[in-house]
Amino acid sequence: MRLEKCWFCSSTVYPGHGIQFVRNDAKIFRFCRSKCHKNFKMKRNPRKVKWTKAYRRLHGKDMTQDTTFEFERKRNRPERYDRNLAENTLKAIKKIDKVRSDRAASHIEKRLKVRKGKERREAQKELEQSIHLVKAPQALREDQSLTLPKIKVQVSQPRSDQNQAMEE
Amino acid sequence: MGGKCPSRKVKKRRYSHKTARRSKFLLKGDDAVYEELQQNPGGEMKEATLPLDEDLPGMGQYYCLHCDRYFANVSVRDEHFKTKRHKKRVKQMMGPAPHTQLDADLAAGMGAPDNGLKLMSM
Repeated sequence: MRLEKCWFCSSTVYPGHGIQFVRNDAKIFRFCRSKCHKNFKMKRNPRKVKWTKAYRRLHGKDMTQDTTFEFERKRNRPERYDRNLAENTLKAIKKIDKVRSDRAASHIEKRLKVRKGKERREAQKELEQSIHLVKAPQALREDQSLTLPKIKVQVSQPRSDQNQAMEE
Repeated sequence: MGGKCPSRKVKKRRYSHKTARRSKFLLKGDDAVYEELQQNPGGEMKEATLPLDEDLPGMGQYYCLHCDRYFANVSVRDEHFKTKRHKKRVKQMMGPAPHTQLDADLAAGMGAPDNGLKLMSM
C-alpha cells in the first residue's frame, strides 16, 4: 500500500481517497480532498497559502531539518520480506514517531518563546512610559514607594527578577 | 482555470472568444513553462526554429514563451512584450521554481526518494 502525499497541502492520501489529475504532459497531481483540488484549479501557489505544509516549512513554523525525516521515503525498490525485520520495524515506528512529535513540540515552544520575550519587553516599556495615566506624576513624586524601583540587573541573572519587582 | 464555458446551454451567458477559453484549456502550467525557460534561457525562440502550423495565429511563428501565446505578426507580439501582464509573468518566471510534487513530499517530512542499489554492476 503506497501512501501518497497531496500535491497542495502535503497531507497523506490514503487509497480510495481524494482525486488524481493527470495533465496532458503525463504529470500526475494528487489531491487529498476537493478543497486542495479547487485551490489547484484556481492556480494558487501552495507556498503562499497559509494552511499548507509548504508554507509552514518555508516560514519556519514547522521543523525543517531532522534526522527522523529520513525514515519515510518513497522506495522504488521493494524490500524482500523478512519476519524479524518487519517486527523490529513495527516496534521502531512507535518510538520514532514519539521522538518526532516531541521534537516538533519543542520546536514550536522555542519559536513561541521569542514572541513571549518580546511581549514582555513591550509591556514593561508601556508601563514605564504611561504610568502617569494611572497615577498622577505629583503623587508619584510624593510617595516614592509607588514608582517602579530601579534595579541594576546583572546580565547573567535571569530576567524574571525584574518582573517580580514590577508586579510589587 | 476558470472562465466561462463556450458551449453553455444559456446562450446569453457563454463566451465563444478564444480569450475566454484560453485560461481553461490552452495555457501551459507554470512548471511546464518554467522548465522550458530553463532549457533556453533567452526566453525568445527564433522564428526559424518554430514549426509551421496553419491552425495557429500567424502560422505559429510569433510566440511568447513566458505567456504561452501565439501572435498574428511581429508587431502584435512586440506590443505584447510591452504589456503589464507579460512583464509580470517574466518577473514570476525569474523567481524560484514552481511548486512540485517533490516539494510537497519534502514538506510532509519525507526524505528524498530511495531507488535502492544499482541493479547492474558496472
